Amino acid sequence: MSDDGGLWLLAMGPAGATGLYWFLYRYYRNTDKSHAFEHETAVEAKPVTGSEHKVDEVKGTKETRIRGDNVSAYRKRVQRIRGDTS
Amino acid sequence: MSNTNNPPPVPPYTGPGSPQDVPPVPGSSPIDPNTLPEPIRDELLAPDPVAIDTSAEELKDGLNRCPKCGSTEIRQKPGSDLLICLYCRNEWHGTRVEEEFGLGEGIDQLKGTIIASGARDIAADVASLMSFKCTGCGAEVTVNTESTMTARCHWCRHVFGVNEQVANGAVPDAVLPFHIKKEDAVARIRQFVDKRRLFALKEFKEQFTPENVTGVYLPYMIVDGNASADVAGKGEIKTREYTRGSGDKKETYYDADVYQVERHVDFTVDDLPLESSAERGNLDTRTNTNNIINTILPFDTKNAVKWNASFLAGYSSEKRNQDVEHLRPRLEDQLLSIARAQVEQSVSRYGRGVRWEQEALNVHGTRWVSMYLPVWLYSYQQPGSNGGLLHYIAVNGRTGETMGSVPVQQWKLLMTAITVGTFLEGIALWILGSTS
Repeated sequence: MSDDGGLWLLAMGPAGATGLYWFLYRYYRNTDKSHAFEHETAVEAKPVTGSEHKVDEVKGTKETRIRGDNVSAYRKRVQRIRGDTS
Repeated sequence: MSNTNNPPPVPPYTGPGSPQDVPPVPGSSPIDPNTLPEPIRDELLAPDPVAIDTSAEELKDGLNRCPKCGSTEIRQKPGSDLLICLYCRNEWHGTRVEEEFGLGEGIDQLKGTIIASGARDIAADVASLMSFKCTGCGAEVTVNTESTMTARCHWCRHVFGVNEQVANGAVPDAVLPFHIKKEDAVARIRQFVDKRRLFALKEFKEQFTPENVTGVYLPYMIVDGNASADVAGKGEIKTREYTRGSGDKKETYYDADVYQVERHVDFTVDDLPLESSAERGNLDTRTNTNNIINTILPFDTKNAVKWNASFLAGYSSEKRNQDVEHLRPRLEDQLLSIARAQVEQSVSRYGRGVRWEQEALNVHGTRWVSMYLPVWLYSYQQPGSNGGLLHYIAVNGRTGETMGSVPVQQWKLLMTAITVGTFLEGIALWILGSTS
């Protein structure tokens, strides 16, 4: 077995302890819960419109996702453009 | 709330009017309108949109009378939306505000800000103690609107309710009566806590008496909105996947095309509930457990009935202290979140995900209705520094949805975590020892 594999195995104890602590803490205290208004509110949307065009290429990256992927992080606000009229 | 995070990669826009800023006081203007040219002045001084008037003329004197016999001994019939006269047993139904004021209609046609009369701005000089002159005997009866909305005349036993829409925020447009009975709420709380006993604080378990649950009407603004949103960012599609190296050094690499992605969505939102009390709207989990009460939303607000203080007899209530303008940043934040959820499906072809970088919201129109919603609350005060922490277990008074915060016995939880960690570490060392 390589050195990398060995180090990874050694982290199992602390990682397991921390993971279990947070899992149980959240189960009891429910600090991560809130109203899921994105899906629990009656929303009627017209068909989504939009455009896309290729601007660049990435070669030989080791990352499996785009950096800063926030497609599911609805509540994470990004730069707000003001004075927009559609 | 996650809106306090610094959004990568561009720093947030923090100028005037951003969600992080306190909005200007309604009606205030940094420039005196009289110094402006006539067309602009006319626009500024034009009357505000008319509010929907939900005040009930027939209840102005504070006496809710049975329509059949005239008695004021009126209670909500438990588990229903009916009011019952305790004297002649007459039962009648409150008027649903949905139809009465047309609240479910024309959301896609909404323009500007429409505020129902019970959701109007709170006047700072209005006291929460209100006194009535009893029309039965002439005595003065005082009601403290901070916590209750009904009182009994000590002399002639008439029951009073605060029905008039005084400008202190205590009287909403509508009320959603309790459906879940107390025994049911107690059972749900017990069931919830029974699943969380092992690591619960010892004192909490010893003092656990779910029978002490109280029924509280909490103040909310129910908002309909008509809005458009635009989002722009980068999306990536994988074009090639390959490995380099060999054996243990083997690593996977990817090639991808990067696209500039833009999306636009027009949408309407029906009955979005927002806490209209500043304390309840503060969801900072380090200092309070209000997120528990937030989680049991939503309610079937379509069934709310026109305000009648008799529904509150036997329950306590909390007063609204936030105006429409205070809640607008929160609404815009939630509308943006909804828009982002709506466009998610349309970018599913970007297999490596999308990084939204810019967003814009255009709110065409909103309609605000103030409502009392029913919540069964069990609370436990955990002692500690800075006054400790107040833990809530809340049951939605309509749907029965239950959520709670159970205080944790820290040493027990830590010991368990460390024990499991040590066990795992032992296995890891054993594997390492046996393979080397």
